[in-house]
Amino acid sequence: MIKASLIAAAYFAAAMTASAQTSPGAPQPSAGVDQAQVDQGKTTYARTCSHCHGPNMVNGGTVAPDLRAFPNDRDRFVTTVKRGKNGRMPPWGDVLNDDQIATLWDYLASRRTP
Amino acid sequence: MKRIALAASLAILAPFGVSAQTTDQLVKGATDTSNVLNYGMGYNLQRFSPLTQINKDNAKNLVPLWNYSFADDRSEESQPIVYQGILYVTTHAATMAVEAKTGKQIWKTKVEYPPETPRIVCCGIINRGAAIHEGKIFRTTLDANVIALDAATGKELWRQKAADIKEGYSMTVAPLVADGVVLTGISGAEFGTRGFIDGWDPATGKHLWRTHTIPTPDEPGGDTWKGDTWKLGGGSTWITGSYDPELNTVYWGIGNPGPFNSAVRPGDNLYTCSVLALDPKTGKIKWHYQFSPNNPFDYDSVAEMVLADINVEGKPTKVLMDANRNGFFYVLDRTNGKLLAANPYVKVNWATSIDMKTGRPIETDVSKDAREGKKVVVYPSILGGKNWEPMSFNPQTGLAYANTLAFGGHYKTEPVTYKAGEWYLGMDLTDLWEWGDGPRGHLKAIDPLTGKTKWEAPSDIPRFSGVLSTAGGVVFSGQLTGEFEAFDANDGKKLWQFQTGSGIEGQPVTWQQDGVQYVAVTSGYGGVYSLFSGDERLAKVPAGGSLWVFAVKPQ
Repeated sequence: MIKASLIAAAYFAAAMTASAQTSPGAPQPSAGVDQAQVDQGKTTYARTCSHCHGPNMVNGGTVAPDLRAFPNDRDRFVTTVKRGKNGRMPPWGDVLNDDQIATLWDYLASRRTP
Repeated sequence: MKRIALAASLAILAPFGVSAQTTDQLVKGATDTSNVLNYGMGYNLQRFSPLTQINKDNAKNLVPLWNYSFADDRSEESQPIVYQGILYVTTHAATMAVEAKTGKQIWKTKVEYPPETPRIVCCGIINRGAAIHEGKIFRTTLDANVIALDAATGKELWRQKAADIKEGYSMTVAPLVADGVVLTGISGAEFGTRGFIDGWDPATGKHLWRTHTIPTPDEPGGDTWKGDTWKLGGGSTWITGSYDPELNTVYWGIGNPGPFNSAVRPGDNLYTCSVLALDPKTGKIKWHYQFSPNNPFDYDSVAEMVLADINVEGKPTKVLMDANRNGFFYVLDRTNGKLLAANPYVKVNWATSIDMKTGRPIETDVSKDAREGKKVVVYPSILGGKNWEPMSFNPQTGLAYANTLAFGGHYKTEPVTYKAGEWYLGMDLTDLWEWGDGPRGHLKAIDPLTGKTKWEAPSDIPRFSGVLSTAGGVVFSGQLTGEFEAFDANDGKKLWQFQTGSGIEGQPVTWQQDGVQYVAVTSGYGGVYSLFSGDERLAKVPAGGSLWVFAVKPQ
């Protein structure tokens, strides 16, 4: 029991730290990005991406990458979304058009971990 | 080529020559302690073993004997099959035969599928296990194929495409071999599919029958759908059914309707959120019982329909038990589908109770408001009071041991349009959970007839592991944080645990071989909770699939 509550306390502490760093569901304002684009990206993300990368891009980053930590490399993002990667990330090039992928990128930028 | 030939010759030389295992042995699976021949450790899906070598007194001396890497970092939800000292286990990417005593691989056959496939897999890149019959291993693939392999060599013997991923269909289910027929179900009710159960000839793969879970307008139940809504009505069948050989009846749970937004599909929407009693030879429906008519909340009823013979009001009764995702624990008379008991086993606010005369839920304003498009807080959440992870029924204690969920959800419908191969939900996915402050899950010992909890073992991050119980008075389960655990069946006292290195979403099994009782479980997480919860505490739990085998160290 002691061990269990110790583990629980450790997790709780970790969770508190995590929530202090990022506030899920509250995108940070990002200069030069159209909020309408971000909102559209959020909707597209929920439909096509969230069942692997987590609701609002919140996940543990172990099973699928934590996109909030994705490098600031738009070309890499677009290529990966279109073509897929490593037999894990499926290709979306025949489902999502360039505009939709652009809104996903804007949404990702709004969710990035500082 | 050389390697394949070598593997084949090793298999022939293996000390336990693979002899064809028969229909009769499958029927006796629940009491065959030297093998694990059925999904659910018996056609009754009780996941109960009469073995006693591992018991509540010596469980603390359990030690790992070996670990076998799947070389895979997806969710490992497969139940191993054990026959004559060989474990047969699956991942989404391979089927494997492993020597039970040593952990040595006998053969491994890869499964390949198109890279687009994960787009239409809602809840984890997984497979739930194989079936065995007369020297063949049967399994399904993520891209909706059913295949048969030679149990001795792993060589593919036949392959049948059941459905098309472009239309949103996938397969994760472990097949059921009943009355000489291979039965399989389908996944995809979140993608505008129409569910079904198939029957296949084990020898040749010939397609014998298909029973759709959503009737056409001119079939019985067709009037429970308006217009063309039946065509995208969902009703998937992704958990293996149970089978009563005496009644020659298969009991298969049916999933949620599509889309989630129930305003799109007025009516009861048969046979979604139901159990079907089927003739395995023909697929003909003998009876049905619907748990949740016109359900908005993803209360899939696919999870295991456990069979037992118990006393109901003093009378020995052939029952079917289901800890339904909708939060009620049901007991039905499995000879006719009559409702015997339905009581909440977790917090429920979408219905007050189940009408024992009609079998229908008495719904609250939460359900009404949800259907009208208002945002509601609903208990259980869309993950249910218990998700897919199978419970165990112990006939000695008369209790069901289940990993249950203790949180609610936010639910708000959205307009929805169908596009082949994409989500067809009609629900806001950006704000899903009402976590509350306490533990998010409990391993509970539940009285089937009252739904009451005898004991519970809480967990901050809920358990999504299958449960195993034994005549030794031990209950086995696992944590998403990696601990494989043993509990006292009577009071829930933790007897032992072992860190397996990744989260456990597997299905523990036990058998005895040459005087030693073994327990096996897969480790490796990535299923529905880790994908949808946004629980960042799991960032500290590595992915990585493997198979563990344990026994009690001689003192």
